[in-house]
Amino acid sequence: MISGYSITVSCMIGIYMILAMSLNIITGYAGQISLGHAAFFGIGAYSSALLSVKAGLPFWFSLPIAVIITACVGALLGIPCLRVKDDFLAITTMGINFVVEAVFLYIPFFGGAMGLGNIPFPKIFSYEFSKFHFLLMVLFFVLVCVAIDRWLIRSWAGTALEAIREDETAASVSGVDVTKFKVGAFTVGSGLAGLAGSLYAHFMSFISPYDFGFPQSIVILSMVVFGGIGALRGPIVGAIVLGAAPEIFRPIMEYRTLLYGGLLIFMMRFQPGGLLGEESFVFRFFLRRIYRGSP
Amino acid sequence: MMKRVMIVGFLFVGVLLISFPTYSQDIPIGFFAPLTGFAASDGRAAKNGVELGVSIVNDAGGIKGRKVKLIVYDDRHDSKEAVAIANRLIEKDNVVAVVSGSYSMPTRVTAPIFQKGKIPMVAGYAVHPDIVKGGNYVFRNGCLGEVEGAAAANVAVKLLKAKRNAVLTMDNDFGTELSRGYVARVEKLGAQIVSHQVYKLGEKDFTPFLTKTKEANPEVIFTSGYYNEAALVSRQAKALGIKAQILGEEGFDSPKFLEIGGDAAEGVIFVCLLNRDDPRPEVQNFLKKYKQAYGMDSEMCATTSYDAFMIIAKAIERSEPKPEAIRQAIATMKDIPGLLGKVKEFNEIGESKKPVQVQIVKGGQFRFFAEVTDPEVITPPSK
Amino acid sequence: MIFQQIANGLAMGSIYSLIALGLTMIYGVLGILHIAHAGIYALGAYLGLLCFRFVPNFWVAMAMAMILCAAAGWVVQRYLYQPLLKLPRIVPLIASIGLFIALEEIYRLIAGPYVIPFPADPGFKGIQIGNIQITNQQFLVFIVTFILLSFLWFIMNRTRTGLAMKATFQDMEIASVMGVNVPRTVALNFLIGSSLAGAAGVLVGVFYNSVYPTMGSIPAYKALAIIVLGGLGSIPGTVLGAFFIGLSETLLIGVVQVPFPRDALAFIIMILVLMFRPYGILGKG
Repeated sequence: MISGYSITVSCMIGIYMILAMSLNIITGYAGQISLGHAAFFGIGAYSSALLSVKAGLPFWFSLPIAVIITACVGALLGIPCLRVKDDFLAITTMGINFVVEAVFLYIPFFGGAMGLGNIPFPKIFSYEFSKFHFLLMVLFFVLVCVAIDRWLIRSWAGTALEAIREDETAASVSGVDVTKFKVGAFTVGSGLAGLAGSLYAHFMSFISPYDFGFPQSIVILSMVVFGGIGALRGPIVGAIVLGAAPEIFRPIMEYRTLLYGGLLIFMMRFQPGGLLGEESFVFRFFLRRIYRGSP
Repeated sequence: MMKRVMIVGFLFVGVLLISFPTYSQDIPIGFFAPLTGFAASDGRAAKNGVELGVSIVNDAGGIKGRKVKLIVYDDRHDSKEAVAIANRLIEKDNVVAVVSGSYSMPTRVTAPIFQKGKIPMVAGYAVHPDIVKGGNYVFRNGCLGEVEGAAAANVAVKLLKAKRNAVLTMDNDFGTELSRGYVARVEKLGAQIVSHQVYKLGEKDFTPFLTKTKEANPEVIFTSGYYNEAALVSRQAKALGIKAQILGEEGFDSPKFLEIGGDAAEGVIFVCLLNRDDPRPEVQNFLKKYKQAYGMDSEMCATTSYDAFMIIAKAIERSEPKPEAIRQAIATMKDIPGLLGKVKEFNEIGESKKPVQVQIVKGGQFRFFAEVTDPEVITPPSK
Repeated sequence: MIFQQIANGLAMGSIYSLIALGLTMIYGVLGILHIAHAGIYALGAYLGLLCFRFVPNFWVAMAMAMILCAAAGWVVQRYLYQPLLKLPRIVPLIASIGLFIALEEIYRLIAGPYVIPFPADPGFKGIQIGNIQITNQQFLVFIVTFILLSFLWFIMNRTRTGLAMKATFQDMEIASVMGVNVPRTVALNFLIGSSLAGAAGVLVGVFYNSVYPTMGSIPAYKALAIIVLGGLGSIPGTVLGAFFIGLSETLLIGVVQVPFPRDALAFIIMILVLMFRPYGILGKG
């Protein structure tokens, strides 16, 4: 049968797919560079974990509540973020990441430096999920995200976001309520990150503040950019490649991180649109056949 | 859509291919530590210690004629990597036992996985209390955080006769646990905590904390930290004219502390597990061999991980290279010889009980200062 | 006691200003968040240490580090950023992050993960003013920062090169039209900024007697907060921001004893300031 190792890695990749897609909504669609996305990942994880461990709620309740909590925090944080533009925004999101991590680390209610443990695996009527079932559930949620994403692009919201991304002033002059859509993007993006967080917490059964720091935000962002920012296929591929890479390259463990840094430089220098971006080598040679036009 | 299926398919096959097990006559033992990232220094030391142990065992002919094959993985101090590593060790590498040369977080998160996979794991130096609660397959060779902290309190109040104690805590799990044990014991012994501050892991500028501490006029400042923090606190305290005794913990136990701390390290006292003045040949031999092999003196992470490995090696010697047998052998081991002193045994939940050493820096070297054998302090909880 | 803390805070502020200045100059002229700047800072520490092994003089080591880091900065600008100038800003940002990560790993692979001491003695003794103890390292920091900041002020305000740089900050196109050699000015910004980072690296290495691969991590984040707080691209704003953060951090931790980590405090301060002045203290829209 498929090994537990493969399932574990696949689950993580699935969770990363959801994270990358959620960041893509904020950064790719709405054009707001977020350097602190791991904060929402963490808020989702901690909410879900606390609801299960301290309030005794079953996973099936903790998950949706965690998503809602994270979406609300996202909306709330979206508001001050509106006052700042571009690079100021990027650094502000980074700051939010540090502050959220510090809150988890210093406030004993969240477990502090010792982290939160004994987070239960999901159960259906006292029958506990196996890892394989969990993987199926993760894949289900990935498809849910894809569906939400498609709906977003094709809807009026998608067009508005594209307008904002291209030129904010022009968009607002044309009657687009920029504030509403930006906050909306933050809300949906962070809500989905919260979903990923909840899945992560119940999968790992132990979480600690260090799981959700700035380096993690960078990992997520690089997955989005690596795959190709904007189009949906980008974050998914980015998550798969950059999620599987640490495991595939384990034998050369001394050089893994160097390779990762070098890969980022290389990609940005030669394929800045991402692996599956419009101009990329991969897209042009292989995928044009499969894609007949529409993204 | 098709394209996505293709790509997922390719990568799935790729991951499957690399998860096929390998066969050999050697005894596979797993090891993980942070070999890259901010904790790389400690991870490297742990790896050195275990590899020295492996070479000593293999040079003597192996265990029951079979050589030990050490399978080393880098966890980058990241839970996700640790989880993947644990699964990989169990399924792909078919290890019979595992040494954790890592910090508390990766050890804590992998303990339930090794328990479920029925592979015994011995943690070298991680201090999180929940690690051994993972089950009867998980053992801790090192010291539980609160035990070590309590031992330090004994030193402060009973040996150094300090009534006024200040605490400077490093904000991660290691520092927090140690300080918790220290504060609880100090108050139990009737002395005072006159100042308690928390600093961020990686902090280099302690002058704000120390200035505030100086105000409280303590006799002892218990500082938790790794060797860099230890050295910097000592230096900055000296520069600020602080006369209080600096009392540290096992994170201080590294030649780097002496190197970076320089003169300021002189006179610092700390609790740890290794007595460098221990006359036993196994200790002095190890210290000499380590210096020969790696060009520098051994440190806490190396000695504890070495001991953890040796416990497994001895367990295999007394039974056979099968996980269940090894677990049984470790659990029933009595008077386990180690660099860290004779460990009586592992208790019901897998904690080991041993005296805590107290070392002092004298003449630029670590010397014996005292030993804490108070059973009230050194007995770890059994549930 | 509070004056002691102020002295502590000013020392930190000085160090921060040296690191953040290069970052703001590079932003001012290219609009790029040069996160790899912290990698150049660490490079300065390592190179300084290396030079010190051959010529055991602190000032020589610092000068060498500054020169070599200036060169390194120029290489980064020419071969990494220049080709990426016309692309969306996230591209050079990710490239910079990739470079920073790669640099940390290169240091680890070459010099080892351990902390290496930097036992340079610049020849100062600490001084005591009343109740305040200024350690010899703090004194060194003040002197070096003062010298370097004065140099920078002189260049910016009393030379034509400085005038050209200020014009380029304001508007690259107009400056070019007015006859400023923009590519040369950009290169100069990198040279000066990177050499300041190199100096900061040596200074910090000696100050804490520690040189190690990840020493750039915290300055990377902190410097970003500072240049945003001061106003992206504004040199006086950055100096102000650096001292403001250095002081507030120290006072909040040492006097008020806020139980929160330093870096998070720096960011909170930054965010609060941004709420009132969205372009930083001295930034322009």
